[in-house]
Amino acid sequence: MNSEKAYQYIGKSENNVNAVAKATGRAKYCSDMQLSGMLYGKVKRSPYPHARIVSIDTTAAAHLPGVKVVIVGDEKTCPLRFGAGIADEYVLARDKVLYVGDPVAAVAAESEDIAQAAVDLIEVEYEELPTVFDGEEAFKRNPPAILHEDLKRYKTLRSVPPKFDENRPNVFNYFRIRRNDAEEGFKASDLVFENRFETAMIHHVQMESHCGVAMVDDTGRLLVWGTSSKPYGMHRDIAESRDLPLSTVRVIIPTHVGGSFGGRDPKAEQIAASLALAQKGYPKRPVKMKFTREEHLSTTTSRAHYIVDIKTGVKKDGTIVANKMRLLLVGGAYAGTGYLTARNAAFGPAANYRIENFNLDAYGVYTNQRMAGSYRGFGNAESLWGMESQMDIIAEALNMDPLELRLKNCIDEGDLNAFQETMHSVGAKECLHAAAEAIEWGKKTQGKQPHLKRGKGIALGNKYSIAPSASAAIIKVHPDGLVELRTSTVDLGQGSSTIFSQMIAEEFKIPVSKVRVLNPDTDITPFDLGTASSRSTFNMGNAIIKASTDAKRQLFELAAKELEANENDLETADSRVFVKGSPERSIPIKDLFIPMVIGGYTLKEGAEIIGKATYYLPGVMPDPETGASEKPAAFYMYVAQSAEVEVDTQTGKIRIIKIATANDCGKAINPMMVEGQQEGGVLSMGIGSTLLEEVITDNGVMLNPQFADYKIPTTLDCPDLMNYKSAIIETAHRDGPWGAKGVGEGTMVCTSPAIANAIYDAIGIRFHDIPITPEKVLTALKDKKSTTTRGADGLPFRP
Amino acid sequence: METLRVTINGEKIESLIDPGTTLQRFLHDTLGMTGTKEGCGSGLCGCCTVRVEGMAVKSCLILALQVRGKSVQTIEGLAFEETLDPVQKAFIENGAIQCGYCSAGMIMSSKALMEENPSPSEQEVRQALSGNLCRCTGYHKIVKAVLSVGEKQRQ
Repeated sequence: MNSEKAYQYIGKSENNVNAVAKATGRAKYCSDMQLSGMLYGKVKRSPYPHARIVSIDTTAAAHLPGVKVVIVGDEKTCPLRFGAGIADEYVLARDKVLYVGDPVAAVAAESEDIAQAAVDLIEVEYEELPTVFDGEEAFKRNPPAILHEDLKRYKTLRSVPPKFDENRPNVFNYFRIRRNDAEEGFKASDLVFENRFETAMIHHVQMESHCGVAMVDDTGRLLVWGTSSKPYGMHRDIAESRDLPLSTVRVIIPTHVGGSFGGRDPKAEQIAASLALAQKGYPKRPVKMKFTREEHLSTTTSRAHYIVDIKTGVKKDGTIVANKMRLLLVGGAYAGTGYLTARNAAFGPAANYRIENFNLDAYGVYTNQRMAGSYRGFGNAESLWGMESQMDIIAEALNMDPLELRLKNCIDEGDLNAFQETMHSVGAKECLHAAAEAIEWGKKTQGKQPHLKRGKGIALGNKYSIAPSASAAIIKVHPDGLVELRTSTVDLGQGSSTIFSQMIAEEFKIPVSKVRVLNPDTDITPFDLGTASSRSTFNMGNAIIKASTDAKRQLFELAAKELEANENDLETADSRVFVKGSPERSIPIKDLFIPMVIGGYTLKEGAEIIGKATYYLPGVMPDPETGASEKPAAFYMYVAQSAEVEVDTQTGKIRIIKIATANDCGKAINPMMVEGQQEGGVLSMGIGSTLLEEVITDNGVMLNPQFADYKIPTTLDCPDLMNYKSAIIETAHRDGPWGAKGVGEGTMVCTSPAIANAIYDAIGIRFHDIPITPEKVLTALKDKKSTTTRGADGLPFRP
Repeated sequence: METLRVTINGEKIESLIDPGTTLQRFLHDTLGMTGTKEGCGSGLCGCCTVRVEGMAVKSCLILALQVRGKSVQTIEGLAFEETLDPVQKAFIENGAIQCGYCSAGMIMSSKALMEENPSPSEQEVRQALSGNLCRCTGYHKIVKAVLSVGEKQRQ
């Protein structure tokens, strides 16, 4: 643990190291790639939500001039299934399709137009099968449709295995927590509340669509570029689904990727790889597979429709005695990262409050929709939507201030959470106070006209970071003093390359401009679990510190001889090594290398200055019966958010008057970037998911797969600069680099309840499902009640 | 194929193109000006915004042949070597760039606004950028960056 002292680069708002390239249009993304002889891929997709593939006729497509190769889901193209935790998905569907958009065939051709024309010529005969869209129906012991008859025979991940349900054939993961007995707790409670809350299916809407480029090189090796946030996950998926040795596949992620937010399943890359491999003879030409915006919005990973049942028992003084929840992730056709989301959605409710009796059952179920997987918050925005709405219902019944109720029960340093883990680094109270203050909590304001009703709301949330976890870093010190980091963390826009540069700058006391971060490349950059779970600053940060120490040790060993000093007495700064306390006894790093005849520099031994390290965090797997674990997660980020809204009771329109967030990130390595995460989480994804966004489907067909109909917030949907406030709370973590934890995922885990609680305060109507659209508001005002009604197809309530 | 003569970033260009080619595809695929991104291909996201005769235009919505004889500026033409435009500088210094996929379009729309209205109000900035989608930033630092350019010019 570093002692408190003035840092040169840590805690400073350095400019993003990639910003100049991006501001000048020079930054190249995967979707900008053009290679000599490149072919373009297009996908034939299923029009049915569930059907048996009877036959596929590709003859006409294959004969179209300009078509190089046509592939279908067969033993040759897709020998094995793949998936994050459950291998349930083929690259192209075999035997049956499970959702509208399931890929059944693909074409690579000279141009996108030719490829599309060929796709249109492919004839597929289907035999329709019964479907299931509704989560509760799918959950049944005798569901109307079973998606994966062979589920129990699928390969699953050993380190964090999914748990199936003997009696419920569509359940792909089940997780439970049993801290004492909630039923006993209800008996001991003065009041018990029981409610259901839901969230609509939404999409990440990364600005860069999913894209893959693949080629077979002159040695027969498969190279794949992509937009994945998990290079090593994609590497495994590509190799294992084809039964290829891992080392025969090379995955490269370009320096710039246009956003992730959890939704970068590698389907485009997988199809590109199949099209590259399927070409007969040599040369095998590179293939680019970029999903159109419509394909992106309608077929790639979404955030699930979630059903959250919550029953809470409290004492009259507001003490929460018992809490029981059932979480149902309506997971779509393939589990993807959703297998883990289904489990980990439990973590937020488990760590928000001190609750002696806490029982929870969390499930993920297959349905005939596209895959629903991880999305910023990893299920916790959904589970906390339920818990934090429930808290306000309780507060009203007890005639208590909702802020007071939260402060009274919120978890603190040293408390046990529902896993019976002793909590450390908990900024919940500070966050609550900051969020309340930011909107002048307790002070009622009035709309300008009687039909404009104003109200305020607050909510508490937290986001764990995944364990087990591992990050590896390699640090090379170049003869000219530049320090290079080899990391497989993907800079998706969140700024990891800048954060890492600052860390290395601090370790080596060199300007940020003297650090270079290489892009992920499985031939060059070492293992990282993935750019997810707000884990990079903490995990890769720790690996960077260890690898820096290793590299500096090597520098000091070399310099010790030159300076006739003990290596333990040496320091480095400004690309020199010097004796602590005697900076005049120093040597430039370049002089540690020997310039050679003809050119180049060498060391007499050891080849190069290469520091390397792994930060491995094993965690403790929760007990399968009780969920008990002393270390189920790496750390927890706390957050409180507050909102003031104005509801127009004539139009149903909700205007955000003020919105605020306070996030406990441990230590802000770069405050400007922490703010950037907060702003994006609250203003774009938080407000969007609460008021605007919803994937609308009819018999499994997405009806709004364009920006004209799938609305994400624009500049005009976000409050003015002065009406948004953010606070950074720094509750140092003992294992964090410089005390840092993370930030990104915690930024929208309680935006929805904060807004909905404000709406309730304004008009006295409790909304149980999001998004809260003007139609829902008007209907509820008319009926003076809310509704959780959903149609059989998971269709949202329509007036 | 048709001949297109057009001035791009001050340079006269002559090219033989398929008449169906959009301006975005021409810039991005033919000329390799990959700063002009395709975000949706239907004029709804603004990633491909360029300036035609100074006006902000979504280049995926017009054909390359429609700019015949005109002057087009792309993001690559905004900076001169390492000397950045004040709008670009403001985006960098205010942390207005995250994933960067929308940035070129966002900057070109901002530039068009600033040329027409060098000292815009916050509402004017929000209005001018309402056709450019961004998912990372919530627009907060983007609006701040554009306003800071106006403030600097007032000083």
